[in-house]
Amino acid sequence: MSKSAPKPGGQSNKGEPVGVRRHRLHRAPAELAGGLITASTPMSPEMVERLFWRAGFGPTNADREQWTGNTLGAAVEWLLSTPAAYSGTPGTDQGAAFDPTGNDSDLVLSWVDQMNRSINPFVERMTFFWHEHWANSRESVSPPQLLMTQTELFRKYADFATHPKANFADMAYAVTIDPSMLRYLTGELNVRGAPNENYAREFMELFTLGVTDAAGKPNYSQTDVEQIAKALSGWQINDNDPNNVFSYFTQSRWYDGPKLVFGEFANLTTADVVKLVLSRRAHPPFLVNAIWNEFIVSPPDAATLKSLTHLYTSSGMQLRPLMQAILLQPQLFESLEEPNMVKPPVVYVVGAMRALGLKITDTTASDYLDGMGELPYFPPTVAGWAGGLSWLNTDTALARFNFISTLLQDTKIKDVEGESAAEAYVRAYAAVGSPWLAAATQAKIKRFAAAAPSSTPDTRINRQITLRALILAGPDAQVM
Amino acid sequence: MSDEPQENAAGAQPERAIGEVHALRCADCARSDSLVQGVEPSSRVQIPPEALAGFPDGVPRPPVGSHSRRGFLLGSAIGMASIYSAAHLSWEAVWDAASAQAATPSTETILVCIYLNGGNDGLNAIVPVSTSQYSGYMAQRQNIARVLGPSGGGKVGTTVMPGTGGTLAFANPLVSGAGNNGATVGLDTLFGDGSGGAGSDLAIFPAADYQPANLSHFESRDYWFAGALEEMSTGWLGRWLDHYGSPTNPLQAISIDTSLSQSILTATAPVAAISDLTQTSFEIAGTNVNKQVAGLSGIAASRANVALGRSRSIYGETVQVSHEVSGLNGVSNAPGYPANSDLSSKLQLAATLLSAGLGTRVITIDWGSFDTHGDQIGSQDPQLAVLSQALGAFKADLITRGLEQRVLTLVYSEFGRRIGSNDSLGTDHGAGGLVMVSGSSVLGGLAGEHPGVQGDENDNLVPITDFRTVYQALISEWLGGDPNAILPGGPFPGIARYDGGTALLK
Repeated sequence: MSKSAPKPGGQSNKGEPVGVRRHRLHRAPAELAGGLITASTPMSPEMVERLFWRAGFGPTNADREQWTGNTLGAAVEWLLSTPAAYSGTPGTDQGAAFDPTGNDSDLVLSWVDQMNRSINPFVERMTFFWHEHWANSRESVSPPQLLMTQTELFRKYADFATHPKANFADMAYAVTIDPSMLRYLTGELNVRGAPNENYAREFMELFTLGVTDAAGKPNYSQTDVEQIAKALSGWQINDNDPNNVFSYFTQSRWYDGPKLVFGEFANLTTADVVKLVLSRRAHPPFLVNAIWNEFIVSPPDAATLKSLTHLYTSSGMQLRPLMQAILLQPQLFESLEEPNMVKPPVVYVVGAMRALGLKITDTTASDYLDGMGELPYFPPTVAGWAGGLSWLNTDTALARFNFISTLLQDTKIKDVEGESAAEAYVRAYAAVGSPWLAAATQAKIKRFAAAAPSSTPDTRINRQITLRALILAGPDAQVM
Repeated sequence: MSDEPQENAAGAQPERAIGEVHALRCADCARSDSLVQGVEPSSRVQIPPEALAGFPDGVPRPPVGSHSRRGFLLGSAIGMASIYSAAHLSWEAVWDAASAQAATPSTETILVCIYLNGGNDGLNAIVPVSTSQYSGYMAQRQNIARVLGPSGGGKVGTTVMPGTGGTLAFANPLVSGAGNNGATVGLDTLFGDGSGGAGSDLAIFPAADYQPANLSHFESRDYWFAGALEEMSTGWLGRWLDHYGSPTNPLQAISIDTSLSQSILTATAPVAAISDLTQTSFEIAGTNVNKQVAGLSGIAASRANVALGRSRSIYGETVQVSHEVSGLNGVSNAPGYPANSDLSSKLQLAATLLSAGLGTRVITIDWGSFDTHGDQIGSQDPQLAVLSQALGAFKADLITRGLEQRVLTLVYSEFGRRIGSNDSLGTDHGAGGLVMVSGSSVLGGLAGEHPGVQGDENDNLVPITDFRTVYQALISEWLGGDPNAILPGGPFPGIARYDGGTALLK
């Protein structure tokens, strides 16, 4: 873990330490006054904060040091050209190495641990987005190796340093015959004579087209579903060795005959129908919107959507150029003075652990992710998680807060005798990674600090823990 | 400052004992699509313990003075109700409206709706066993078919339903007794002799739906919840509440969930969602910090920033909850409910709320995972057994509470499933779903014909009963009011019972 050297003279009894003042977040960003944000815009601290929350799990102090004053284009380029790599050694579960195939908590934890230790957080963030999109659940996928292999597949479409030309057409085909998907949506049992429509329908409804287009016109018919199901038949899974599971095609199980899909009448194969579906006009805007909505709150205007879909189709459905264009959107930086997107639980949990510099040592993270309503590998339905504002309700708010207070209980807090309330606040704020807080929120927390008892070591430590929890787990910490 | 990096160093051993992780309720793991995600409550109000006793001493009033009032509010809640209404309703307004209805001994009818999420396969619940039909049934779904008589040979058996001329049988998970659902009650005990006489209290529609079948979960749900073959901004029960319900009491219709069912979405009348009656608090190292969190939640966010506004308001609403559950004297767990079932908890909460006399007319429950594309026997059968036991236990619970005569329970799903099974030992989306209505006021028996397993050109059951026929009867015979004012496109054909009758109720 990075360890910042004490800065002699960097703080006084009254002022804030140098490291904190640099990151004050509630002044108007000068960049915005001059006009639109572009790739060459030098980033304010607020922009760094925003970019790393949306495209990662919040900035570390090192990210802040590196990117403040640097251009947005350079930072986006770094996110898209730094390969997957992880710092330090893996976390543990009660002192033991993770056993992801032995128990499901460890399955979840081992991925959360990778997110926590990721050097380029975007790769894990984007990988997780694909899990949200092609949502498969451990509830009906066994052995668990299938899900782990699927995550590796997703990572190929998120690690653009290693796979700069990654494109969605390849991905859609790969996922269609991926063992986990074949199991989850029962494609492995789709056989000639007894077509199983499950995957055919969800492939279009949830993964590539949507039910209707922007004008409300159906994107496909029941006949298309049935005919595509026939084309998709014949795939099976060999899971004799759970550590080397693969899918394979059995000609005799395939519906070998003409199918009528979107008016095309031919002896279509799996590859043919995947290509056909992706060639529908409804596909590019569907996918662009799905990715956009993961990172940006306000919807794209018509012109922006058009230019993004053009970029997507003209590049042969490549993902890197699309991601680059989305991360450079001025709208990603709207409402900088007051963050306006609810942190998904995974982002919130990993973000807090990174801010506190904590490693995974037990099931706290997975237990609370469950309580917050987003347990990785356990999406509630094939449509994934509803997300957005629905993340927050009176149950999940408690889980979000009590997760942080549990983490803080495991943190060694030093008693500083004679520490003033103002000093206690400054220390607490820096210790939790100097996150965004509204000015009014800061003022209130400082008033709590001033009113808190502090005459004994116990009360001072309690004050310190309470301040940290209110800063890192209060209502302002839920947005990014 | 210099101590901080060490304090938080990765892998540092905790100095304090690891705090016990609270057993948090999962935010409804099976969050379903029937819930309206986009609709925000206009307010949330606490449920005081007195509410569950029906306000015997009137709505409790806080002492005059804002400071003590706040203490009162923090100290006495046992749960939260999310209120959905055009106007913001205060605590006093909600409970005054509820207690006004509670004050007079109520004789008003109540409808409890249980929605089986995912498309329940009716054909493996109610099996056509006449000689002519059974061979067709067997041929179409041999790999998941039921056998005649007791279970055996690895196949689940059936029990002939009285009063159906030997044409239909319950799958045994629906039937009481060891080897079946394992309980002393079940659909068979509710169904009785199927005559509609005393003790025959369960009406069964084997194939209720709309035509043509849409086969999409999402579209079909929209239709069933709207009571119309189009998307509407209100639910069928929501429109009934707008017409005939209370303009002031949100507890007249309650979704037992964290959000609202589409079926009770209203244009004007207030309604509510309640998920639980036990709450915890914001804590740090075992210390309640609700007060501090409340302070942070009261800061206004800019109007355009709905995310921050939502976060602060939710934190504020959560704070209003207390751990004091000592007032939970109204909540008792009646016997007979299947253990460890979400359906049991929801029905128990429903019974508790109904016995409080809060003017509740409608309760909605969303339960289960019936989208059985594969391994149908392994997933549908245990759920059928739980459903059967739970309906029996719910009825007994309501009898004990002196409420049963006022309650009807409707069970439905968004569609039935394909007649022919697939090779995944499951069934794909189909049509003609199983609908049941339970209650001692109900004219038990076969309330609609079975269509047989010939199927339409898509191998789906041909619906015999329009689902709106059932809604129409529930309105005209039970809830009260003009069905034509509620259900667009009506009037719909009346009920056509197997025995020739046309009524839903005794």
